[in-house]
Amino acid sequence: MKRLYRRADESIKAKLIIAIGLLIIVGSSVFWYAILHKQKTDIMSIAVRYAASFTDYIKERTRYNMLNLHSSDIQKTLEDISLAKGVEHVRIFNHAGKISYSSSKEDIGKPVDKDSLACNGCHTEINKSPLLLPEQQKWGFYKDSEGFTALKFVEPIYNETACYTSECHVHRKEDKILGFIAADMSLSLLDEAQFKQGLALTGYVFIFIVAISISLVIILYKIVSKPVSELAYGMKMVSEGNLDYSVKVYSRDEIGLLAEAFNSMTRDIKASRHKMEEWTRTLEEEVAKKTEEIKKTHASLVQTEKLASLGRMAAGVAHEINNPLTGVVTFAHLLLKRVPPDSEDAEDINVIIEQADRCARIIKNLLMFARAGATEKGEVNINDVLNKAIFMLKNQEKFYNIKFNIDQHPSPLMTFGDFSQFQQIFLNMLINAADAMNERGTITVATRKITENAKPYAEIEFTDSGCGIKKEDMSKLFEPFFTTKPAEKGTGLGLSVSHGIVAQYGGNIKVESKEGEGTSFFVKLPLKEA
Amino acid sequence: MKKILVIDDEAIVRMSCERALASEGCDVKTAESGNAGINMLEKEPFNLILLDLKMPDMDGLDVLKIVKERWAETKVIIITGYSTVQTAVQALKLGADNFIEKPFTPDTLAAAVAEALKN
Repeated sequence: MKRLYRRADESIKAKLIIAIGLLIIVGSSVFWYAILHKQKTDIMSIAVRYAASFTDYIKERTRYNMLNLHSSDIQKTLEDISLAKGVEHVRIFNHAGKISYSSSKEDIGKPVDKDSLACNGCHTEINKSPLLLPEQQKWGFYKDSEGFTALKFVEPIYNETACYTSECHVHRKEDKILGFIAADMSLSLLDEAQFKQGLALTGYVFIFIVAISISLVIILYKIVSKPVSELAYGMKMVSEGNLDYSVKVYSRDEIGLLAEAFNSMTRDIKASRHKMEEWTRTLEEEVAKKTEEIKKTHASLVQTEKLASLGRMAAGVAHEINNPLTGVVTFAHLLLKRVPPDSEDAEDINVIIEQADRCARIIKNLLMFARAGATEKGEVNINDVLNKAIFMLKNQEKFYNIKFNIDQHPSPLMTFGDFSQFQQIFLNMLINAADAMNERGTITVATRKITENAKPYAEIEFTDSGCGIKKEDMSKLFEPFFTTKPAEKGTGLGLSVSHGIVAQYGGNIKVESKEGEGTSFFVKLPLKEA
Repeated sequence: MKKILVIDDEAIVRMSCERALASEGCDVKTAESGNAGINMLEKEPFNLILLDLKMPDMDGLDVLKIVKERWAETKVIIITGYSTVQTAVQALKLGADNFIEKPFTPDTLAAAVAEALKN
């Protein structure tokens, strides 16, 4: 199964999303804070400007009454002004800090707080030093009793000609500053507006983060995560041996190229493996072939050894039987001479003699089978031997109704061996062929030159149009005494004798037969190497 | 009357030869081994010896050599179960007059004997 969902520390997608997500959150937070901060400073700056304008206005409104010392009018003006929304207090106090007028009547005559902006906005150390601050602070923010931001603005009232020349003579010419107007203004509305704007901005930032994150997840999934996951899955498949698996190529970018390279690599591996399997198969086939050959050779050796053992035993038995048989033959003949020629006894004795002769023939064949026969070896042309054998048989009664179909190799097939032994083999083959087709039909005789293991051989084919050989008999063909012919026709030694002789010369005899169609014997004999 | 000695370890072969040749008018004696045959030859002369090739104590060819050395006039016919040209050729080289294969008929034997004695 595809494992597209993995633990965060195992997944590229999760790592990227977490990293980029954190960056977005941090970035957005900084942005959010900067906006809010800027907004606040802007609002405050505006508030200060308004406050300055407000105190100027108070100054202008009270100017006339100040010059004419209409104290109650001044007080009234302050009280009226303080009714306006957002104006907390308006006070006028002298340079010594004593409150002369106030929107709250109870404050009149009280001193202002010396630690407040009213004093320390200009003075460095109140009561100790007349030194003023290099930059005088006319305004300041603070939290009012309800927790809202409030602005205190202090505007000095400078001495003017009209002041010290006024009829009331309250102020001296050398005084620089006559007093101060201090206005406390509540910024609760601005606080509220700023809070709402901050809330809205937070909402927008949150929506932005969510939208960006979702887009990022989708983009990362499509561009990176999916192809990389599929590539990883493909690699896993291939490593597990599934070489038919190919990764889908989504793009022409680096990941796409990687996928293509991976597919190409998989194809190469598959081709190599295919080649290797081919080699292995060829090797296996070769081994199987060789094993089969060895088996066949072994079987052939076993068969040869079996036949040789049988031959040795048969020869021993034959030799021993020759002695009593000599007695049987001799005494039967002697007895025959003593009985009247046409009598029943004479007939019986003839039967004994005939059967003894048959025994003698069998023994002779057996001895031949055991290769006890004499050999006269020399150079022999196989074609000549065959021609002689055919010539000898053609005029025999057995072959009167048999047509010979002869196809000989054009040049002499020279081998080294005993002419009579070869002749015996060929005669045996031809007689077997005649017997197989009840002495009627066609015998095809062909000789050809073949090469096996770089050595030249003569192949002599004897094909009859006879009854064929039963499958179950095929394996017994070369065993001594195996025959399908009637007792008086065959001893069952012809083929085993032939096999023995051919094997002695380093050749072999092969048989192909189809029941009802005929049989082919292929005698293979080594040729003299040129 | 021609005197013939049959040397063969097989009693039935000796008997066969004896009976077959007796009916032809020969004086036939037998020996069951090579040594016995030579002993008999030392006692009396024979015109012809029928000699088996394969015998337990002394090989037919060895007997033949001795016979040809000491009784050169005596004809020898080899009786063999091994009808091989090679052994026959060897026997003829050593001075045997002929060879016949087992089993043989009385007529074959008589003919071979007559042929050998004629020379």
